[in-house]
Amino acid sequence: MTRSPSRPPDAAARRTSKLVSLSEAAALVTPGSFVAVGGLWFQNNPSALVREVVRRGPGELTIVAAPPSSYAVDLLIGSGLVRTAYVAHVSFDHLGLAPNHRRAGETGTVDLVDCDEATVLGGLMATLEALPHHPVTSIAGTDLTRTSPLAAPRDVDGRGPVPAPPAMRPDVCLLHAQEADEYGNVRNLGTPFCDPLLAKASRTVVVTVDRIVTNDEIRSAPHRTVLPGYLVDAVVEAPYGAHPCASQGHYVHDEEQLRAYLHAGRTAETWRSEYLEPRVLGVAEGPDYLAAVGGAQRIDGLEESVR
Amino acid sequence: MTSVETQTGTAEAGPGSGISYSPDELMTVVMAREIRNDDLAVTGASSLVPVAACLLAQQLHAPDMTLILPSGVVNPRPGRLYRSASDGRWVTGAEAVGTGYDLFEMSENGRLSVMFYGGVQLDRHGNVNLHGTGYRDGRPSFRGPGLANTSFAVVSGRIILFSAHHTRRTFVDRVEFLTAAGHLDGGDSRARAGITTDGPVCCITPLVTFGLDDGAMTVRSIHPGVDPETVIDRTGFALPTAPPWPVTAGPTPDELDVLRRVVDPTGELAR
Repeated sequence: MTRSPSRPPDAAARRTSKLVSLSEAAALVTPGSFVAVGGLWFQNNPSALVREVVRRGPGELTIVAAPPSSYAVDLLIGSGLVRTAYVAHVSFDHLGLAPNHRRAGETGTVDLVDCDEATVLGGLMATLEALPHHPVTSIAGTDLTRTSPLAAPRDVDGRGPVPAPPAMRPDVCLLHAQEADEYGNVRNLGTPFCDPLLAKASRTVVVTVDRIVTNDEIRSAPHRTVLPGYLVDAVVEAPYGAHPCASQGHYVHDEEQLRAYLHAGRTAETWRSEYLEPRVLGVAEGPDYLAAVGGAQRIDGLEESVR
Repeated sequence: MTSVETQTGTAEAGPGSGISYSPDELMTVVMAREIRNDDLAVTGASSLVPVAACLLAQQLHAPDMTLILPSGVVNPRPGRLYRSASDGRWVTGAEAVGTGYDLFEMSENGRLSVMFYGGVQLDRHGNVNLHGTGYRDGRPSFRGPGLANTSFAVVSGRIILFSAHHTRRTFVDRVEFLTAAGHLDGGDSRARAGITTDGPVCCITPLVTFGLDDGAMTVRSIHPGVDPETVIDRTGFALPTAPPWPVTAGPTPDELDVLRRVVDPTGELAR
């Protein structure tokens, strides 16, 4: 006698889909929000989502990002929506400095809080641990201990004054990954880096993915799920959603477009006229954006040319 | 002769050696010799030379050493070099993909034995500035990228400094912002600050290798074909010793062969 199949009959009760449109997801960022921006350097930037936030224009944002960040953070800063930034390192890696981040630091238009990995991750981990502060003992001797409010020394457990970043609890976390099902089970094909930590520390988590997969596919390899659905509030299907940055297994970073961004960034005015207007404010996300940056086929072929 | 730092990227080794190599290839080979078999090394941004040096050392004399890229990729072996530290193609063929949390664990607990730092400014005591220069009322006239991980300067067993730019602007008497701790004020000031690790042990540039034996940069060796006057002119602090300095042993044919055949077959370092 054969046993019944492992798959149960379809449930009568229907599970709720977390799929939303890009603009619905972007609307979760409201004026004054504390926003966590995922990715690192050219990987997994929630680029399309951040561009959509910029189109909507909620101001007075506070942002935090993985210790090495790049395009998405610089774009948010350049858009003028950011008041305070907890960012350790912002650059375009080997391509150059992040122009808007640099300018903001030099003109004082954004409060760039001096940070490093220990202070940013310490603050996020304090939230995970439900602690008011997370002591970090390893930034001794640096000027961060003098200039960074995150590194203000506190007496922790009688150990004497040590830098102890306060708990950080972002309102909204914006991530990009490669695959998810409609219930928010998310897979990273490459490094997830700080994204799981940012997600766990945040109140609301939004993930754009290049591809929606079925729940059956998720269940076929559960160990590959990086963010289980209970951590995720909204999923957006956004093919090429990390462009001009990379999405592991789908497309590499687009050095031509990143260099164009950097060139546009030589002054605040040229960045607005040569990048912000034509690539963000003046174009809709999706096919129009892709057409403006040379089309999907060109992006698919970048692996051959990007060194 | 200072062709080692020319834009064409081709340097001549000592007269009659017949071997030519680029500044990056020279720095890679010299740095690889600093890597030990039991090392666990972590690299940072814009660090093609340190990554290549670790991969070369694994091929030559340090097969057991562990290399972790800043994206968390452990022991990559992609068969070529990619110019971005976060390029996803480093993942293919690697042994593991860690997360930011794995790096945070090392930020507090140590575990890594080598960290590599470059800087907007590097000072005579090996301190690193990646934050800014020209401060007035607390605001810089030049804002640098900042640093993802300054903790590694405290907890890493030792630090190898490097710079592709040996200029007075980079090599200064004192950093304007101390982003990562070198030997602080020199002498035993690092130990007095409660830091128990070795700190910077050398600094490799296109012109020289500095040693930091007494907590201050001293020319350990000058690279083949470099004029000592060029080093003095391009260093923004007084060098403790006068020439003649020992000459760096240039890359051997074996070292260059493995570098070009196994580590960098597409010639990213030769450009």
